[in-house]
Amino acid sequence: MLSLDRVTYLHRGGDGIREVSLSVGAGEIVALVGLNGAGKTTLLRLLLGMLRPQSGRVSVLGRPLVSMPRQQWSRVGHLVDSPLAYPELTARQNLRIAALLHRADPDRCVDSALERWELQALSSRRLRHLSLGNRQRVGLAAALQHAPDLVVLDEPGSSLDLAAVVTLRQALVRRGAEGAAVLVSSHHLEEVARIADRIVVLHGGRLIGGIAPDDADLERAFFEVVRRDEAESIATGRGVE
Amino acid sequence: MRAALRVEMQKLVRSLVGTVTSLTLVLGTVSLLAGITAGVRAGQEELVAQVGPAGTATWDGLLLAATQIISAGGLLGAGVLASWLMAREFGDGTISALFALPVGLGRIAAAKLLVLGLWAMVVSLSLGAAVLALGVMLGYGAPDDEAWVALCRQVLLVLSSALLATPAAWAATLGRSLLAGVGATVGLLVVAQVGALTGAGPWIPFAAPALWAMTGGAEVSAAQLSLSVMTGLLFAALTVVACSRLQLNR
Repeated sequence: MLSLDRVTYLHRGGDGIREVSLSVGAGEIVALVGLNGAGKTTLLRLLLGMLRPQSGRVSVLGRPLVSMPRQQWSRVGHLVDSPLAYPELTARQNLRIAALLHRADPDRCVDSALERWELQALSSRRLRHLSLGNRQRVGLAAALQHAPDLVVLDEPGSSLDLAAVVTLRQALVRRGAEGAAVLVSSHHLEEVARIADRIVVLHGGRLIGGIAPDDADLERAFFEVVRRDEAESIATGRGVE
Repeated sequence: MRAALRVEMQKLVRSLVGTVTSLTLVLGTVSLLAGITAGVRAGQEELVAQVGPAGTATWDGLLLAATQIISAGGLLGAGVLASWLMAREFGDGTISALFALPVGLGRIAAAKLLVLGLWAMVVSLSLGAAVLALGVMLGYGAPDDEAWVALCRQVLLVLSSALLATPAAWAATLGRSLLAGVGATVGLLVVAQVGALTGAGPWIPFAAPALWAMTGGAEVSAAQLSLSVMTGLLFAALTVVACSRLQLNR
């Protein structure tokens, strides 16, 4: 459903991603983990066309990104950086415009999204009056309400309370069970391990390995992967970022 | 495109910026006109000298004064709004959510500019009605043919202000900030003023429509007005292209 094939994008300071190859299939939930500055957001931006790769190829929904028909984006739901959350609009209005922009029928998805994300009591409140966590819930509802076949989320759990985290988990598992490809970046290993089929580790702009979601000590496993990569870098003279 | 237009219209209607800009332009203009008329009727010589031919308590004087105010105020208001329409997505952090949609960023930008045009239509008609109402209240009686023509020119001046504010939209997009757009707006006003002062006004796209409205078309040719229209459309196209090529690389 989506793939990066030896994709490189380097920012001016040298950060970014290098020769990254990754694929996520239909019905698969893949978690992308890494330290701050590893390149997770850069990778997700490349997948969604927010950045153009300097080399390599990005494919989304089975097609090269550069030639993908625009209508296909209606099958994608994402939340990267900040949610679609206009402060002057109410929660309901934000969801309606998100549906319109995804070419979905607002009358068919907004009410159920408000219910699923427990936003009914807040539906008539302007977003500028909502907490960060509630705005994040609106953003996630907007990204998922049109039942996308491809879901890309960057740190979706940030600012969410426990109830919303559970709702998010259930929503992603449901999407995966219905055949969607899901890619989620996160710092919260325990949380993503509950739902991910695979956990891949990004370090210094490179995919350096994976962690088994059922590993008893995820943090130890993560740092072991990182330590091994850094040792290999020193041994080969590759240099660590 | 319809979806993008609906979304952008809703955002503008619900926003404080749209409301404040519209009210400032309409009520601000009418208040200034009322103040100038009161001063003229009171025989304030300094004021009469400053406003020149607009310093008469007649339809001609009122409409000339309105045109003078709108020539600067219209461009300023439209420029601020054009800047906000584009820059708010960066300031509010919503720009990333506008990628990866079946409605491309270029279309969203075009929808924003169309909404700017629709806003200008509403404001131009509202302003025309407000000035008309003021003239009637001031006891000038029914407008004659010349007054109606001047009123129509005033409406077109507001519309042209929106078109000529597109460089501000472009600057706000490139600079990804409201300040960039507002700075460009101030620059446009300066260029227009300097052009008018040096006599080159008819050839300055940002000054020509105002000169046309103020002189009853006597000093500005159709070709010079066309230059203004083409300049506005060029910057609108540049804005759309800039948005469609946007990368979040900063």
